[in-house]
Amino acid sequence: MNELLAPERRTLIWAGGAILLTSALNLGAPAVIAHAIDGPLTRGDYRGVLEHGALLLLMYLVALVTQNFQTLRMGSVGQRVLFRLRGQVFEKLSQLPVAFFDRHQTGDLISRINNDTDKVNQFFSQSLMQFVGSFATMLGAAVFLLGLNPKLGMATLAPAVVMLILTRLLSPWIKRRNAVSLKTTGELSSEVNESLANFKVIVAFERRDFFRQSFSEINATNTEQAMKAGVANGILAPIYTFCSQLGQLVVLGLGLSMVSRGQFSLGLLIGYFVYVNRFYDPMRQLAALWASFQAAGAAYERIAEVLEDSSSLPVLDRDSVTSEVPKGRLEFRDVGFGYRPGQSVLSDVDFCLEVGKTYAFVGPTGGGKTTTASLMARLYDPVTGAIFLDGRDLRSYSGQERSDKIGFILQEPYLFGETVGDNVESLMELEGLFPEGLATPIEGLSLGQRQVVAFLRAVSRNPDLLILDEATANIDTVTEGILSEILARLPSTTTRVVIAHRLNTIENADAIFFVNAGRVQLAGSMEQAVCLLRHESRSS
Amino acid sequence: MEDFHFSPFPSLCWAPLKLKTLARDTGLHYGYSPMLALLRPYRGWILALLVLGLVSNAASLILPSLIGQGINLFTSHEGLPDFLLAEFLTTTMVVGLLSSLQNLVQAYTSEKVARDLRGELSEKVSRQSYTFILERDPARLLTNFTSDIDNVKLFVSQVISGLLSSAVVLVGASILLVRLNWKLGLAVLTIVPLIAVTFALVLRRVRPLFKQATAALDGLNKVIEKSIVGAALVRVLNSQEQENAKFSVANRNARDVRLTIVKNFSLMIPVVVFLSNAGSLIILLLGGRYVLDGFMTLGDLAAFNSYLALLIFPIFVVGFMSNLIAQAQTSYGRVREVLDSPEPEPVQLVSEPIEGRVEVCDVHFSYGEKEVLKGITLELKPGSRNAVVGPTAAGKSQLLMVMSGLLPPSSGTVRYDERYKPSQVARQIATVFQESALFRGTLGENIAFSPRADTEAWEKAMETAELADFVKKLPDGLDTLVSERGTTLSGGQKQRVTLARALLMEPKVLLLDDFTARLDPTTEARVRKNLVTNYPEMTILAVTQRIATILDFDQIALMMEGRILAQGTHQELLSTSPEYAQIYDSQKSTHQYE
Repeated sequence: MNELLAPERRTLIWAGGAILLTSALNLGAPAVIAHAIDGPLTRGDYRGVLEHGALLLLMYLVALVTQNFQTLRMGSVGQRVLFRLRGQVFEKLSQLPVAFFDRHQTGDLISRINNDTDKVNQFFSQSLMQFVGSFATMLGAAVFLLGLNPKLGMATLAPAVVMLILTRLLSPWIKRRNAVSLKTTGELSSEVNESLANFKVIVAFERRDFFRQSFSEINATNTEQAMKAGVANGILAPIYTFCSQLGQLVVLGLGLSMVSRGQFSLGLLIGYFVYVNRFYDPMRQLAALWASFQAAGAAYERIAEVLEDSSSLPVLDRDSVTSEVPKGRLEFRDVGFGYRPGQSVLSDVDFCLEVGKTYAFVGPTGGGKTTTASLMARLYDPVTGAIFLDGRDLRSYSGQERSDKIGFILQEPYLFGETVGDNVESLMELEGLFPEGLATPIEGLSLGQRQVVAFLRAVSRNPDLLILDEATANIDTVTEGILSEILARLPSTTTRVVIAHRLNTIENADAIFFVNAGRVQLAGSMEQAVCLLRHESRSS
Repeated sequence: MEDFHFSPFPSLCWAPLKLKTLARDTGLHYGYSPMLALLRPYRGWILALLVLGLVSNAASLILPSLIGQGINLFTSHEGLPDFLLAEFLTTTMVVGLLSSLQNLVQAYTSEKVARDLRGELSEKVSRQSYTFILERDPARLLTNFTSDIDNVKLFVSQVISGLLSSAVVLVGASILLVRLNWKLGLAVLTIVPLIAVTFALVLRRVRPLFKQATAALDGLNKVIEKSIVGAALVRVLNSQEQENAKFSVANRNARDVRLTIVKNFSLMIPVVVFLSNAGSLIILLLGGRYVLDGFMTLGDLAAFNSYLALLIFPIFVVGFMSNLIAQAQTSYGRVREVLDSPEPEPVQLVSEPIEGRVEVCDVHFSYGEKEVLKGITLELKPGSRNAVVGPTAAGKSQLLMVMSGLLPPSSGTVRYDERYKPSQVARQIATVFQESALFRGTLGENIAFSPRADTEAWEKAMETAELADFVKKLPDGLDTLVSERGTTLSGGQKQRVTLARALLMEPKVLLLDDFTARLDPTTEARVRKNLVTNYPEMTILAVTQRIATILDFDQIALMMEGRILAQGTHQELLSTSPEYAQIYDSQKSTHQYE
């Protein structure tokens, strides 16, 4: 939070100064009017009244400028803080490992970046300004109250102490209520996001009823929690009002008895009431602001959860280099892995991939092929054992080094930007598949077309190790033939890893690994691989 | 006394006039009426909210008079009567109670309005067509469901009671001012229309900005969603910086629009404050003149000042509310747009089982300007097995989506049993898509879309999709949780889950879009055999790349560039279509294994 505000320190100081000046001018104007009435007006001196009027006009004009300054500065601070906060969250999101996204729903993350940061913003851009203003007025009034008569002043302020204690006691509860409400808002956002993303299925399977029903459930929960948060946010205001009126009662009772004992004049008592109001009115505003402060706090905690997530995959030191290893070799040593604690997807995996060879990974669905490939590209870290590339622990490569060396074409092709050209520079001999060439928009591309683009994107980066995970599953065999030619043109030092079900894509492999039930075993030949595929019971 | 009869009129006219001009100039005129229509069903609650607000405000106005009374009694009787203290305490407690009650009603009413509006929106969206969602943009719809409705909620909870209380105080204080001295009163009240004009001018400029701000939020949502969905790839390509750059642009856009709004408000608020301060100046200068000329007492002048203070506060409330009003209006407009959008005509689902004959007649379909389907004619006989083969981007998937009713053909027809449109028999057609979309929930929930499925149907579907053994091995079985991007299931398993989902509907027509692409040959062959054994009467249309998997099908259509080039059985096509023969040859080398 501090680093967000640090660049704004100067602006905040200036704006704070403007707020104080505006408050002083606003407190001073009634005094000038009073002086004009008591002085020149009572004396019948209209010229004097005009002079006071001129002074007043001057003060109002200055206040016009200072208030404009403070509103602009404070409002801008809010927007800039929000800008930085959103940027930070997004940058963090782009650094978090893939496992983080397996755990979180897209809709909830969107809710955190937009809705929650906006709650923080509301506090900064609207509430903070009032907060400072109200606080300044309150302090000034308190000084007057205690200065005029310490005993009466203390009695007057006593209800404020009660308020302070109550506020302290209630704040954690208010914050909790808001936190729960924000969480259900995130869930609602997830539900909507998921349903809209899969609307094709909802329509095709007439799942509309299901959508309506599950939405109405989450809608009801969300409403219930939001109501509770709303009640919590409003609970302080009546208490503050009650206390402020109690303050007036104290002044009335105690003040009058002091007057009767001659310790205080009646005129002074009437003046005293003005300051009591000046003290308690802003305090009542603070009640509402305090709730928005708590809501902002709860929102910030949800954002901080993302910002402080430490599950990122750290880059290790390069110490672990073993030099006698031939360059380009990829080695799995006793690798074990599971997506969740206690789950075992791969166990005791040991193999070695040599430079420039083509390896095929075959096996039944759910056997662990994609998991093995994901570990090669360090989308996840092994739970036990380690993976070595060029004799160096894969974990010691920086993101840039890794992406230079390893190309990974994922099962689900994902394209960036708006057009095909945003993803690849050249379509090579596949231009004909895309009606507008590089300018063809991504929306409307078929799965096969998207796979072609993803393939070309990975190949054009010329990686040392290229992993194709079912990369051509939805591409026709003729186009696929062209793609294998492109693949064959890669330098002889490129190591290729192919995961496929279509056996023609793997028949040219130098070696075939059979992956099943979390184990990776070398199959001697194509025939043996096919035999394994036919006869090994599917463990999935 | 003459003033007394005359004065209330101008003041009474002022306030409505002001509200009216404000309404016209700010466009509240348009925004309000549907917004008020939205609130009609809650008028009881809103009335309660208004009454509670007014009563607690009025009650708190009693306190100053009690204090005055106390001081008067004290000076005349030299003592403070207990009943006054009791009255004071009672009033305080009543005010506290009422405002607490107001808080409850406020939270309840505003959330209820939001819930109902969200419910209505979800109903509307759920009735819409697939193309509507695509055109409308899911990112924008998400904003409709979340921030937009939140803004409407804020309007209900903050604006309504605040605005009415302000209006009442404004009118009341105006009456008091004019009654005290109508000339000075009117002079002071000139600031009110000036303030109204300021509001109007600024709000008129701000309104389009609020539209831009929400649009910027849509943009942000889109970038965030894309980068989350593509998270794995971003890491493989190490393209975080590019993603950050894209986000920065969207983020900066959002900030700049908001800064412009801040600039406008930072101009408006001080001007309004200045204008209301000008009221005090008028009182001092004009009122001072009257006092000196003997038209007015000094006491009245003091009273004028205190009434002005009463007048100013509600003006400020309206000022702060203007922000919320402008925002709520924009947001409600956006939600209303969706709610008022035309929806597909409700279709009466055909309840009697169809035979399963499908006729596609001269279907054209365009995506944007590009024609994807260029006159497709195809006939599927009941219970037959059919396949569409062809190169990537031939339009095969689009054909399936048109046949399932997801996409409307730009011309031509799709008929089931010679008379039904796809939408009429939606429950009797099932589609397995290329991408296997899973919903967060249990495995069972993801399969059981069909509410009427019985145990036998379950077993048949699970056996056919080769899932039965797999599910048995899962510790939680069908209760295993799966999620959006879950890692619980592999690509092939997800594909089988979506097949089971389709089969459980016991469809008469099954449309398969390349569903075997991620299955190993052994599993694929078993699934194929299971389909024939367990669902012999089902009409099947399979889009596929692998000819080997459809050799024995009744009919195969070769599709290229949006047209069907050849049609027939495998043997017929081999001799009639050189293109088909070429594709078949290109796959031959693998056949020995399949």
